[in-house]
Amino acid sequence: MTAAAVAVPATGEGLAARRALRDARIRGVAFAVLGVIAVYLATSSFAIPASFSLWIQQQGGDSAVLQTTVGTLWVVAAVGSAIVAALQLIRGAAFRWRPWLFVVIAPWLLALLANLLSGKPAILTNVIAGSLELATPIAMAALAGILSERSGMLNIALEGKMLIGAFTASVVSSLVYITTGNVLLATIVGVAAAMAAAGLTGLLLAWLGIRHKVDQIIAGTVINIGAIGITNFIFLRVLQHNTEFNSPPSVEPMRLPLLADLPVIGPILFSAKPYVYVGYILVIFLTYMIYRTRWGLRLRASGEKPAAAGTVGINVLAIRYRAIFFAGLISGLAGSYLSLATAGSFQMEMTAGKGFIGLAAMIFGAWHPIGAFFAALVFGFADAVQSLLSILGVGVAPQLLASVPYVVTIVVVAGVVGRVRGPASAGQPYEQG
Amino acid sequence: MNRLKAFLRRAAVPALSVVTALLVGAIVIVLTDFEALAKIGSDPARALFWVETVNGKTVISGALGGVVNAYGAMLSGAFGDPGRIITALQTGKERDIATAIRPLTETLVATMPLIFTGLAVAISFRAGMFNIGGGGQLMIGALGATITAIMLAGQVPSPVILIAALTVATLAGGFWGFIPGFLKARTGAHEVITTIMLNYIAALVVFFALRSPTLRAAGSTSPVSKNLSPIVDVPNIINLPNIRLDYGFVVALLMAVAVSWLLFRTTKGFELRASGFNLTAARYAGMSAGGSMMLAMALSGALAGMGGGFMVIGTVGQLTLDLSGSIGFTAIALALLAGLRPSGVVMAALLFGALTNGGKLMGVQSGIPFDLLVFIMALVIMFVAAPGLIRSIWRVKVAKPAPEIAAVTPTGAPTV
Amino acid sequence: MRLELRDISKRFPGVLANDKISISADRGKVLGMLGENGAGKTTLMNILSGLYKPDSGQIFIDGEERVFNDPVGAIQAGVGMVHQHFMLVPVFDVVEAVALGAETVKDAVGTFDRAAARKRIVELSEQYKLDVDPDAKIQSLPVGVRQRVEIIKALYRHSDILVLDEPSAVLTPYETEELYTIIRSLAASGTTVIFITHKLNEVLEVADDIVVLRRGRVAGKADPKTATRQQLANMMVGRDVELIVPKGPAKPGEVVLHLEQVFVRDDRLEMAVNGVDLDVRAGEIVAIAGVQGNGQTELVEAITGLRSADSGSITIGGRHVEKSSPRGVSDLGVAHIPEDRGRDGLINPMTVAENYILDSYHKAPYSKNGVFDLKAVRERAAQGVKDFDIRTPSIDTTAGSLSGGNQQKVVVAREFSVPVQLVIAAQPTRGLDVGSIEYIHRRLVEQRDAGAAILIVSTELDEVLAVGDRIAVMFDGRIVGILTGDDATYENLGLLMGGASFGGGVAA
Repeated sequence: MTAAAVAVPATGEGLAARRALRDARIRGVAFAVLGVIAVYLATSSFAIPASFSLWIQQQGGDSAVLQTTVGTLWVVAAVGSAIVAALQLIRGAAFRWRPWLFVVIAPWLLALLANLLSGKPAILTNVIAGSLELATPIAMAALAGILSERSGMLNIALEGKMLIGAFTASVVSSLVYITTGNVLLATIVGVAAAMAAAGLTGLLLAWLGIRHKVDQIIAGTVINIGAIGITNFIFLRVLQHNTEFNSPPSVEPMRLPLLADLPVIGPILFSAKPYVYVGYILVIFLTYMIYRTRWGLRLRASGEKPAAAGTVGINVLAIRYRAIFFAGLISGLAGSYLSLATAGSFQMEMTAGKGFIGLAAMIFGAWHPIGAFFAALVFGFADAVQSLLSILGVGVAPQLLASVPYVVTIVVVAGVVGRVRGPASAGQPYEQG
Repeated sequence: MNRLKAFLRRAAVPALSVVTALLVGAIVIVLTDFEALAKIGSDPARALFWVETVNGKTVISGALGGVVNAYGAMLSGAFGDPGRIITALQTGKERDIATAIRPLTETLVATMPLIFTGLAVAISFRAGMFNIGGGGQLMIGALGATITAIMLAGQVPSPVILIAALTVATLAGGFWGFIPGFLKARTGAHEVITTIMLNYIAALVVFFALRSPTLRAAGSTSPVSKNLSPIVDVPNIINLPNIRLDYGFVVALLMAVAVSWLLFRTTKGFELRASGFNLTAARYAGMSAGGSMMLAMALSGALAGMGGGFMVIGTVGQLTLDLSGSIGFTAIALALLAGLRPSGVVMAALLFGALTNGGKLMGVQSGIPFDLLVFIMALVIMFVAAPGLIRSIWRVKVAKPAPEIAAVTPTGAPTV
Repeated sequence: MRLELRDISKRFPGVLANDKISISADRGKVLGMLGENGAGKTTLMNILSGLYKPDSGQIFIDGEERVFNDPVGAIQAGVGMVHQHFMLVPVFDVVEAVALGAETVKDAVGTFDRAAARKRIVELSEQYKLDVDPDAKIQSLPVGVRQRVEIIKALYRHSDILVLDEPSAVLTPYETEELYTIIRSLAASGTTVIFITHKLNEVLEVADDIVVLRRGRVAGKADPKTATRQQLANMMVGRDVELIVPKGPAKPGEVVLHLEQVFVRDDRLEMAVNGVDLDVRAGEIVAIAGVQGNGQTELVEAITGLRSADSGSITIGGRHVEKSSPRGVSDLGVAHIPEDRGRDGLINPMTVAENYILDSYHKAPYSKNGVFDLKAVRERAAQGVKDFDIRTPSIDTTAGSLSGGNQQKVVVAREFSVPVQLVIAAQPTRGLDVGSIEYIHRRLVEQRDAGAAILIVSTELDEVLAVGDRIAVMFDGRIVGILTGDDATYENLGLLMGGASFGGGVAA
């Protein structure tokens, strides 16, 4: 403490601002360091060609080719980092850095990808569209997590609910297809059943946590383990020998009229599987619901300070039950994606941690649907790159690549990337008088 | 008398939890027996329960019969046939004795890692840390032991390899457990998420390591390590052919005593328990709460790692990708069932060891997949954590859950 | 509107919280409800706000019987509540916090009509001169303003009956004066106000009628124009209050605790302690008085090693402790009775014996080389239970199952079980019954007479006046005055606690 600071009585505002400024500077320096690293990497990689192509109209049609060198891409990454670093350092604490993170991360990832490919050509449209596809279940899991935690309930059971959703979708869709032969009907009924099953599982979770006051972490673990047990059991006992019960019609990409015809963007954003569109809609819809409606106001109050909601006559427990149920519906939808749209059938433990990765996306996205969507996109990109690299046979051990999302999840949860605060009362039981 | 009463009162919830879970498991077996149930309209007796004699053998069939078959197989798989054991002992033929007692010893073999991981979960829970990464810590420990054994093979005497391998296993598991403890203490990262992620990473690390020709069994296309028993083997307790029970089991029991002593007779254990209940009060009392978290998680990981070590250089004899199987989940169920008491962990591990071992025979004999047990474990956890369910199902008065179980998260701890 | 409660009773396991309470309040009047902690005020208020249902009894509003099944019923009947702990969502802005639960929507998806809510809040704020910025975040508002937001919240719901629970607990005397003005203007416009407090001065100041509760019953009613403090106090505790703890004059010796220009930041990194200088000598009790949240908590945490001081010097018995851990400070012979014993002083699920050794478990005779001597632990704990008259079935009972008074005795017994040179006691009697309060005070005086230096932090004026040999008043992180002897009066303390320096000037 300096004498000057004693003379001027320190107000809360001033100190909070100073702290924010300090954080802002640390961030600025970090971005600058990223820029310097990119420059360093650029110096040794101008000789390596980088070739990315983008489909203009549709898969397999004309393509625009971006022919450059890895070094150039690193320079772009360096410039992006430098711009954001400069903005951060100049504008200080007032700088809204989260959206700008995109300007740092996107070129960095592209350059990194080119570096790993070391000269092999890649189709960028597929990488980006693939990232979106792979991000969709993670984003949906994150949305489910946001709904629960905003209401004040921890939800580590997303994983289990997704697994149940994946299982139910596959079986029900197969059964409906066998009986009716109608692909659309089978898919719709299968997805609806998956959502219902996961929604009911969510109610079980809420019931254990609220009615029986089971620690919300233990309750979630019960669901996660139970889901693995029951789905593995039925898979091995029934589905393995009766594969017709596990052969749902797969969900195919759907070109959105007009939008899909947009050059370059159309094949990336609007020629995807319907799940991706549902994902876009959910993100926008939930953002509006949470921040603009009476329901959202009450939801957030239940998660932040349930007593404040309870004393004005809001039924906090009902809000929590409903939120967990909706979260269940969404995680069921996410699960159905795995079995109907990626693998084409249910496989044992096919969620492989996606529910937890969804939680990490939720945290990284600061409990905001749009933030969580972009966070999920980063995980999706990691997945897409991983499959691309293993198809191309790039010399990185697939196990190491596969572990990247898990490591990133730990890093995010540990708050190494800018700590954010979640709903204040998440995880605490609320006693309604 | 009072102590007996207290014990019964304490044991009521765990016992009824297991019974209820097995009953629910039975319902699941019945409901998934489509072939039998399909006959319910035409021949309800055959559909549900049917006994007949085929070629001089009694055969039970039907959906309910399937339960009898499954649980019967589980029982005989776990405990063997008492009559046969007596006959074998009377004849005194080594091979007969071995075959007769093998189910029993295999139950103890299955129990051994469960004691280690159950203790691991118990010690972390006691300190307010929900370690669900026992499986990963066991794998990393096993990997450490495997690498040590193969590296030292032929260079030093076998007993030295044994000790070195176990030490490395313990340290490696301890390190794997320390990571989430450290992250929680320093950044507040929730251990449930970090330990699960570390489970996946551990599996990938082991997979990666098993690509190396140094470790992988010669000529094998699947990721399994070389057979370690020619290099090093934990001495067996009973020297009979085909009996795998070794001194690892004894060490597991000793560890239970050690953990009990640590928790209840030492100041470190006092600190662990105090911070497990209330972080701020522990801090006010001059304890380092973060230190307790890291210590508890490191010890927890070390126990699981040691278990993994004993598996690869003892009972199992090699490192495989499915070495840990469902042990991590089972450990949580049994530790909660045991009320987080080390003596209880041993008892509960014996029970689950029997179920695990019996479950294998169940899978072979009656075609009921082993994974039914994983589902049953989840139910056991649920019933132990929500005794109200047990109360309303069985209409009995039951004790409230122990505070250690009622709230895993200590007062003053950050949430996810 | 006229409010009448008739024969309200409410029983909780083991206590009859309200026993046939009958009170009434007229339209446009202020009813002061006076009572100690545990007298049943909060229960009565929760019944009135629909959170609890009475076991028996009736509620009449303007002569019509009303039954409240939930808070909505009470709100619809016109009862508005300002809770002692504000019921405002910290991350909301004022509009959201006020409208919560009474939102108007403008379409089918339920979009919140923010503009309408904002308009009405601005109107109310102007009408009653509450001066609240509708767009400010709750967490950035000072407590005085938050309280006014709570009042707006009640008015927003068209409350004609406003209940304020201990509204001055967190306010400075100046803010309290402002509150009185608001209450008077509300009453003048026809609102019925029920003002719940345990402070005698307040009811005399602001109430039109006074009702006193004691142990769940109405102990008496009084007219503020004629009643005296002593009469009210007698009614409140049921006997002549001993406002003076029997103790001889202090015999101050060596300086034990020495604070020099101590600065400490709080969790939000704001400066909470702004340069405190203070000496506490052996054989004297120094009491720190002040409204909650003026840096007392942070100062105690800095002395006991729980929080590091930003700058300045802290010595105990001549040893510097600025960098010491809690253990290091405790090992110097410092007893610490923490402010929130349930959270910080005890581990509720652990036994009395374990709590008894909670901060000396690592030392002889309890343990050696990290291993417990369980026999010694049990013997000492049993002795402590006996010496301090702790009412517990056994030393193996969990601390959480004891009554508040006995819990505090466990803490005190533990802290005094080793020789101490300095005692730091924060709110040592908060929430305790009169008997336990006296007991704790006597033990503190005993320690003083045995030669320990005692530092007590309390927000209760009665307590600091009763036990303090010297009284230091803390305001805005500073010691704004030290009173002794005849200077130590309610009036002087009140002035200092509000930030006026002794003698009249206002501290910067």
